[in-house]
Parts: sequence; structure tokens; C-alpha cells
Amino acid sequence: MMTTEFKGEHLLPGQIGQFFVVLAFGSALLSFLSYYYATTAKDGKNDSWQFLGRIGFFLNSVSVLGIGTCLFYVLYQHYFEYHYAWAYTQRSLPVYYLVSGFWNGQEGGFLLWTFWQAVLGNILIWKARSWERPVMSVIALSQVVLATMVLGIDVFGVRLGSSPFLLLREAMDLRDSAPIFRTNPEMYHNYLSYITDGQGMNPSLQNYWMVIHPPTLFLGLAAVVVPFAYAIAGLWQKKYVEWIKPAIPYTLFAAMVLGTGIIMGSFWAYESLNFGGFWAWDPIENASVFPWLTLVAALHVMIVFKNTGHSYIIAAVLTLVSFVLVWYSSFLARSGVLGDTSVHAFTDLGMFWQLVIGILVFLALSVYLLVSRWKALPRSQKDEDTYSREFWMFVGSVFLALSCLQLIVVTSIPVWNATFGTKVAPPNNEVALYNVFQAAFAILVTLLAGFTQFLKYKKTDPAKFLPKVIAYLVLAALVAALIVYVTGLYHLKAVFTILMIGSVYSVLANGKIMVDAFKGKFKLAGSAIAHIGFGLLLIGALISAGTSKVVSENNSGQQFTTEVTKETNPRENILVYRNEPVKMGNYIVNYIGDSVSAPNHFYKVLYQEVDSSGKVKNQFLLEPKVQVNKGSGGFTASPDTRHYLFHDLYTHITMTNSLSVNENQQGSEAHGQEDDDKNYDPPVPHQIGVGDTIQVREGYIVFKGLSNETNVSNLQLSKNDAAIGAALEVVSHGKNYQIKPLYIIKNNSVFGIAKKVDDAGLKITLTRIIPSTRKAEITVYQQPVGKKKFIVMRAIDFPYINFFWAGTVIMVIGFLLSIFRRNKELKAS
Amino acid sequence: MKKSSIFGLVVIAVAIAVIISTYASSSTYSSFNEAKETNSELHIIGHLDKKKELYYDATKDANYFSFFMTDNKGQECKVVFSGTKPEDFERSQQIVLTGRMQNNEFHASKILMKCPSKYTQDKLETTEVSAKKADL
Repeated sequence: MMTTEFKGEHLLPGQIGQFFVVLAFGSALLSFLSYYYATTAKDGKNDSWQFLGRIGFFLNSVSVLGIGTCLFYVLYQHYFEYHYAWAYTQRSLPVYYLVSGFWNGQEGGFLLWTFWQAVLGNILIWKARSWERPVMSVIALSQVVLATMVLGIDVFGVRLGSSPFLLLREAMDLRDSAPIFRTNPEMYHNYLSYITDGQGMNPSLQNYWMVIHPPTLFLGLAAVVVPFAYAIAGLWQKKYVEWIKPAIPYTLFAAMVLGTGIIMGSFWAYESLNFGGFWAWDPIENASVFPWLTLVAALHVMIVFKNTGHSYIIAAVLTLVSFVLVWYSSFLARSGVLGDTSVHAFTDLGMFWQLVIGILVFLALSVYLLVSRWKALPRSQKDEDTYSREFWMFVGSVFLALSCLQLIVVTSIPVWNATFGTKVAPPNNEVALYNVFQAAFAILVTLLAGFTQFLKYKKTDPAKFLPKVIAYLVLAALVAALIVYVTGLYHLKAVFTILMIGSVYSVLANGKIMVDAFKGKFKLAGSAIAHIGFGLLLIGALISAGTSKVVSENNSGQQFTTEVTKETNPRENILVYRNEPVKMGNYIVNYIGDSVSAPNHFYKVLYQEVDSSGKVKNQFLLEPKVQVNKGSGGFTASPDTRHYLFHDLYTHITMTNSLSVNENQQGSEAHGQEDDDKNYDPPVPHQIGVGDTIQVREGYIVFKGLSNETNVSNLQLSKNDAAIGAALEVVSHGKNYQIKPLYIIKNNSVFGIAKKVDDAGLKITLTRIIPSTRKAEITVYQQPVGKKKFIVMRAIDFPYINFFWAGTVIMVIGFLLSIFRRNKELKAS
Repeated sequence: MKKSSIFGLVVIAVAIAVIISTYASSSTYSSFNEAKETNSELHIIGHLDKKKELYYDATKDANYFSFFMTDNKGQECKVVFSGTKPEDFERSQQIVLTGRMQNNEFHASKILMKCPSKYTQDKLETTEVSAKKADL
């Protein structure tokens, strides 16, 4: 094969990076095999195998760091000969977004995952002691599987994985996109000089939450491997009981971080996407929740088993299932299978079957061990007592798992279609279906999260706890009734009102436990606080999603027949002309200006709250932004939100006419006089004297006088040339603008330099000077009404959404306290 | 009967309910002709007819957008959407509509469109390269 030299390519960082990619795979494999033999060898050489396993794992960790460094170097240097840099970044991107460009592509996501898994593996080598060999066998196996995902090497004609160091010219045949390269080898040789910038990053990803949300989410997903590895190790080594205790703190950690990562994603969606909300039941969102639900369920039954010896099998199964679901959600996101149902899914990188194999490896391992050890698994001889904590924790866990089942069954409709060759479409009102089902499950879970805290393990005397349970239930019902009445939640389906009772009950009952905890029984503080947080999160979600109100109601419009208006009444977008205030709900909104800092175009939307006497009692400015997409000319809008303690006002632009396609390219000048003139009504000349005014649609113009200009930018004026300026004052909507259009005589030709007042939609030129009458001819171009700048916007009020975020933070604090407690228990034993 | 067996039955019942409810609420991908026959909401896959007019004029009605779509059976129909024109609509290669037929117009409540991805397209945009060609 002949290799062609291409001019200007920097191949070294890619070659080093690719070397690390292969090394990461090789060392992970070495580590896995060594740890496997360290666990199983019967020849007494286990210690040497373990040493080799560690060496392999350290080497793998170093390689992963090496891959990351090389990839970041490529991005940082803007080496667009690499497909990854070209596809996801551009020169103008600030460094912190280059970091998020790192995990913009699927390969980066895998790198992040394998990085965190390497970190966790090193912690386990340090901490796991007698568990190190079997547990690290599983972690190393997982590193092997992940390493294949970024290999990018052909094995027997099949491309294994997708490497981040793929060159642009390898990723696609440039000669197809630019046929001139085919006929002119010299130009092809020099192709890099034609690629001056990358494709750039999707504007909605240029948000600081995108810098921290993916690493958090991937740490959570990666951490699920640790309880999985302990469960496999326990079954494999027939230490059925012992694995649970050390696995609990890691399970808490994984559930905490994964939960945080999911909510961070939802906060990002709320802050920078335009669907108007924090949760949309998008398949990709759902997929990230699957492992969280099963992991939290697993956590509870693990604790049950540790304390009572009940619920072993379900604890083991849920722990194993959680990690298989991590792979399944990764498959959903990356295989392209959701193409018709999700707006967030990646397209297939040709790794569909590799991802399927990824799931099957861990599923098969789990099933094999469960089946082969089935008879030996610990079982309790007698049922749990009805009045025992363990029984109801078990019930709660099962319902968490069932809620996960419902999410999986509905989300996976495209998977069922692909598997069975059917063509079923998702439910028309998918969101309502999810809401009702998930609310019903959540009712049981929240009631149990409150009720169970009053019970003791083994057996509780009903006379002792029933009065408390009922008293708190009555109190919760009263508080919930008040909340439902005040917020108007009762307009919705009854299931949401009942969920409100459950959520309030969870908060109150656990509040009591927390108070007790601070009085001395500190052990329970973590779980009490986590459950309070969960209850608050649901209260916030219920109120803000259930009673969020579109403020930008619009019943005007000429096109609709009354029938149609009725159908979709009220409609959600309103039109706001520049400087023409519009009444919207309790507000008067006005589009008062623009500020452009490429590539962002901010729209200044002034909100004024007016009381009955017409006095402005509150005003604020929101600046939703729009970015013009390079090339396509379409645009991407991001909302801006006014945050109050008890509600948020969210605003985003759905349409505007005040953007030009060229805005993205800096320093865009008008294409030429004639082109620009088309944007205006036919010009109207006015012959006026000093002090006269011209009326225009948006105000008036005052002629202040003429002056000789000697300094005209960009023009060399000689002795025979002249430049005359007309000082004009434009008054429009209470604002004054001073402009000076010019009349220039140069080299015996005459031309004018027009001046614009975009706010008033004016372009003004000085077209003649009439010395005899001491008058000047001022020609005014006005933008037609249709060209008047406007925005179409949508505004939504989200009440009490801060409960949602605050609940999350409180839940995380609860998790943290629990991790400390379980760690202490582990050390004590 | 043991308590755990009763609970096991409850779980199985819920699981079956989940599956049946999913099946019962699921929709079908159909065509404009089928949509005329029924009053229920449907999903229709097709593509934008780029030769016919896309109508959206915010100054007249900020919530009226209409266009013509050809479904996968080749049937064309006017589609009305009460909202603004989605970003990049003209570039869509495939559209999935959810909605119902009313007076020979399809009233979409949801539009899902597939565009050639702006940021991860696997083809260089020919226009960019050919623009440079002129300079040489």
C-alpha cells in the first residue's frame, strides 16, 4: 500500500494516543487474566499473579491518562486533521468548553467512564484487602470491555470500537465531499490548508453545566461496577454473605453520585434547552434512571439482609441487574436504536453489535453465577413478620424495581420493534402515561419511606407504632391538602394529590426521625435526611411540573378558525415588536434591544410588573440568547430564567427576524448597496434646512447642520477632494441618536456614506447639497413594517421549583451521612 | 399461603398490568389515508414537500405554521401546527408527526424531525470547500 504524505498534519500526538489506546486494552487484559489466576490458581503462585494484576491495572490507568492527555492536546492545539477535533470543536471555543468538547463525542464518554473505573479500581487495590483478587478480576474485565470500545482497530475485517484519534481523512473520503481533490492530487495533498476551522460545538452544549454534568454522571455510572464486582466475587468465591457489608458504602456512593449526575442533567436541560421544563421523559433521560432505581432498591434490601438475613436473593439480583442496566442504557444512548423516538440519542458509530455484546458479557456472567450457585444461596426459613421493618423495606424495594420495569418496557419500544420485527409506535401521550404510572409507584414508595421508619427490625409491637403512623398520616394529609389547595394541584388527576400526601408524609415522618437522631440516635440521621430530600424533591417536581403556567398566552391570530383555536387554546407564543410593549399576564414585556457577542445574540426582554394603579412595582431584564448555526443558517435558542425563591420565570425565543445568517462570521459587512437597499421601503428624499425635522414611523429626525469633514476613515482625501457631513439627531422611542451621513467628492466622482439607526429601522444618506437655498437633500430609507424587528417568545412560570433542587441537595447530604456511618460500621467489625 | 407468595402474585399482577398498559396505549405508525378514517391520534412518518409553500408569518399569527408532507405511502397532505416554525425545519430529511386529521388538514401536536446533524455530520459541506475553490 502506498502511503501519501499530507502537508501540515501533526501525526505524532495521534500516534502516541493510539499507542496508549492499544496499551490500555493490552494492560487491562493482562490485569484481568492475572487477577483471575490470582483468584483461582491452586499452585501457590497467587501472590505473584496478584502482583502482575496490579502492574497491569496501573499500566492501564497510566494509559487512560495518556489517552486523555493526547486527546486534550489535539483539541487544545486545534489539530483539525483529527476527526474528533474537527467534529466537536472550533477555534473560538474557550478552554473550559474545549474540556467539554472532550466528552462531546461517544469516544470521549467511554474515556470518561474508563477513567473513573480506573480511579475506583486503584481505590479498591488500596482498600479491598482480601476481596482484591476476585473484585479486581471483575473491574479489570470491565476495563477490557470498555477498552475495546475505543480501540478503532480492524480485527478480521470488523472494526472494533471507534478511536478518538481517527484522522479526518480516514473518517470520510474528502474526495467525495470535494471532487476537486480527486482530479487535483496536489490540492488533496494540501487538503489541510482548506480546513481552517472545526464544525464547532452545539450551542446548547456550551454551558457550564456541560462541563461538570457528564463527569458526575459517568462517575455514578462507573461506580455501579463496584457493588456488581462484589456481588460477582461473593457468588464466585462462595462467600455469599460476606460481600454485602463492604459493598454497601460503595452502593451508597454510586447511588448518590448517579442521582446527582441525573439531576445536574435535568438542571442543564432546564437552564439551557428550550423544551421548557426539567424533565421530559426522553428515552435517554429514562435510561439514566434505570440503574439508579434498581441500585437504590438493591441498597435497601442489602441493608435488610445485613440486619436480618432476609431478602438475600433479591439483593444479589438487583445489584447485578443495576450494572447490566448501566450497559443497557449505554446501548440505548449509543446504538442509534432510539433514532425515531429520542432527540438526544447518538447515531450509530457502527458499534451496535459490540454494545450488545457488552451487555451480554455481564448479563451472562450474572446469570451463570446465579444459576450455578442457586441451591447454595442463603434463604430465610420463615417469612418476615408483618410488623417488621425488613418486610416493608423489601416491599418498597420491589416497587422501586417495578417502577424501573415500567420505564424500561415503554422506553424500549424501539428495541422490541427491532427484536420482533414489529412496528409499534410509542404511546401518543407518552408523558401522561409515565407520569401516572411513576406517580402511582412513587405513592407506595414515599408512604413506605415514612411508615417503615417507625418500625423496628424483626418485630414491632403494633400498639407502639400504629398511633404514631396514623397521627403522622393525618397530619400529612392536612398539610398536603393545604398545599394542593394553594397551588391548584387539585385540577390534575387525583393520583398526583395522593402522591403529594405520600411525599409530605415521607418528609414529616422522617423529620421526626431526624429530630430524634439529633437527640442521640444519630445512626438514623443519614437515612432520615435522604428520605426528607427525596420527599421534597417529589413535592417540588409535582408542584412545578403540575402547575407550571404558560405566561405568554396568546389568543390572537388571524389564521385560525375558531375550531382550531379551541383545540389548542391558549397558544403559547407571543409576538413582541422592538420597543412596543405588550401585556402578558401580570407583566408588560418589551423587547428593548440586542447585544451581540459572537456567536451569541442576546435579546433584551424587559419585564415590568404593574399593579392595579398602573405603577411599576417590579422590573427586571431577561436576556435569552440565540446562536446562528454555521452553514445551515438555522438557529438555536437558549432560554433565560429569572429565579425567585418561590418561583421561576422562564423565557425563550422561538422565532425572530432580527438575525442575519452572517452574524456568526465576524465583521460581516452588507453585501453591497443594492442588496442592502432591498431591506428598506423605497427611499424618500427630503430637502430641508437647518433646524427642520423629518417625521418617520418610529420617531423624527432633526437636521442640525452641515460640516466639512477632514478625517474620513479608510479614505485618503487629497486637496481637490471634499467630504461634507450632515449632523442629524434621530429621536425614537425616547432615545436620541447622533449620526452624520457623509457626502464625498473624490477624484471627480461623488458618493455618499449612509448611516444606520437600527433601533429605529432607519438608513439615512446625504444625497445633495443645494448651496443656493442653503438646504440639503436627506434621503431616508425606512424599514417596512414587515421588516420591523420582532421576537416570538414563550414564557413559563415554574412555581416552587426550588424544592426540587433543594430536595436533591438534602438527599445528597443524607447519602453522605449514611456513607460515613456504614464505613464506620465496616471499620468496627 | 405464605405472605411472600401473596406478595409475589401482586408483583406479577403489576408487571402484567405494566405490559398490558404499554401495549394498550401504544400507537401505530400509519398514513394520511388511515388518519382520515379515524378520530384518534396517530403517528405518521414522512418527509417535507419542499416544492410547496411553508407558511409561517409571525406578524400575522405567531402560532400558526403549515406545510405539506408526503407520507411513506406517497400520499400528500397539508399539515397544521400551532406553534412557531421549528428551527432548521427546511433541512429536515424525515418528519414524524403526532396528531389527528381535521377537515382534510392534519393537525400535528408534535413534530419530530431528523436533520443531517449540524455538528457531527460525516460529510464535509460541499459548499464550504467549493467556496474556497473560487479563490484559487
